[in-house]
Amino acid sequence: MKIITVCGMGLGTSLMMKMNIESVLKKLGKSAQIDNVDLGSIKGVDADLIIASKEMETRLNSLKCPKIFINNLIDQSELEQKLRDFFKN
Amino acid sequence: MEIVNFISMILSEPAIILGLVAALGLIALHKSFSDILIGTIKTILGFLILTGGSGIIVNALIPFSTMFQEAFQLTGIVAEDNSLVAAVSSFLGSQTAMIMVFAFLINLILARITPYKYVFLTGHMIWSFAGTMAILFDQMGFAGWKLVLLGSIVEGVCMVIFPAISQPIVRKVTGSDEVAFGFWGSSWITLSAWVGKFFGNPDESAEEINVPKGLDFFRDMSIFMSIVMVIIYVVTALFAGPEIGSKLSGNQNYIIYSVIQALTFVAGVLVLLQGVRMFLGEIIPAFKGISEYIVPGAKPALDVPIFYSYSPTAVVLGFISAVIGSLIATFLTRFIAPVVVLPSVIGMFFMGAAAGVFGNILGGRKASLVAGFFLGFTWPLMVAFAYPLLDVTKYGVQGLWFASPDAILVVVIIKCLGKLFGI
Repeated sequence: MKIITVCGMGLGTSLMMKMNIESVLKKLGKSAQIDNVDLGSIKGVDADLIIASKEMETRLNSLKCPKIFINNLIDQSELEQKLRDFFKN
Repeated sequence: MEIVNFISMILSEPAIILGLVAALGLIALHKSFSDILIGTIKTILGFLILTGGSGIIVNALIPFSTMFQEAFQLTGIVAEDNSLVAAVSSFLGSQTAMIMVFAFLINLILARITPYKYVFLTGHMIWSFAGTMAILFDQMGFAGWKLVLLGSIVEGVCMVIFPAISQPIVRKVTGSDEVAFGFWGSSWITLSAWVGKFFGNPDESAEEINVPKGLDFFRDMSIFMSIVMVIIYVVTALFAGPEIGSKLSGNQNYIIYSVIQALTFVAGVLVLLQGVRMFLGEIIPAFKGISEYIVPGAKPALDVPIFYSYSPTAVVLGFISAVIGSLIATFLTRFIAPVVVLPSVIGMFFMGAAAGVFGNILGGRKASLVAGFFLGFTWPLMVAFAYPLLDVTKYGVQGLWFASPDAILVVVIIKCLGKLFGI
């Protein structure tokens, strides 16, 4: 399963989210390949799930794959809850 | 002797040093053999891609510097840390890589033994500050292990002190003490917020205003940067005139040439960032994992966008006022400063937005606007006046300089200390 995290420059926020997702996935007993990219590259990649901060939502509207948007980048519990919900479906 | 020679040859290749760092980090985290191999190779490839991107950037800046000089009899500077550090990597790449690693270790030691439990985890900033230190101490006449030692100590200390400086205001913004600010503009953003506070009223929050959604396009950095760079290049070309323009563009129309060169610059930045992303992608998770062993419960000092969601309207207010402030200051630098600092899209967005959020928490929407304006106005002036302190043209780099306020402050302080000691 491939998860992609996105942010404006593809350096800071998306990498931080990638590390948080790795911790959460470990907790949930799941595994995935996680990559981080910038907004410019997102259309060129194949993803099963895209995770980004809420501010990126309008920029990612045209993408068809499932997306999770995070309001609070620091709070891992929001990320954990949304990932749990995603895996339930 | 052969072995020592061989080792020092390996250590002079920054790509290899970083690969080794990634390998050691992955081994320390008990990753599988295939993960270690993949991670190490990805890190090395990432650095080589970065070097490629840097070459594109430096080449795209040459015609621009020439035209700017012709047009205005002044040096025009694009302030962008990642590009600058990458551009000097053929001279200082190994030192940069080593400073990065040792500074991180010093950060961990300091976090363990002092009450300042901060671990700076914003990877590209650890790297660009390391490069800044390498340039600084090289310019002051140091080399070899002394340069790496000094650079690592200064950076390691800064990695703990700067987050500590901003933590009181970060606590107000996030409402908790779990996360810190790891970004080399943090102290200036905090200062801007305090300036904004004098003019504001904390009860009039920015969030009470509605801002049109259409302004969202600026999140796409490559688009925004492209528009700004094309304008900068074409305006410069027009002022320089067709004679110089055609000398540079050859058979091609000089305006079309300028547009292409501007976009080539942006393309180079995108390639560079892809490389940075790849080499950090293995190293930073390893750093984070190691820090969790050595300093459990430490506060991660993270990149600036974490604050934006606390006050999205303040983000826009801070950003717009920062842009206005910076355009006025850029215009002024033409007349009063040694160089002209060109508008920085990335800088004004990331820093101006944060100044807006921090200003809002201290003094509402008026403070957001003032904080953003203060930051935007002072930034080009700071860069322009500090410019004579470090000469990067000796590395073959034209038209590029540092952008991070905190890094510039540290450079100024150390250069002054150096003068005191006769260095």
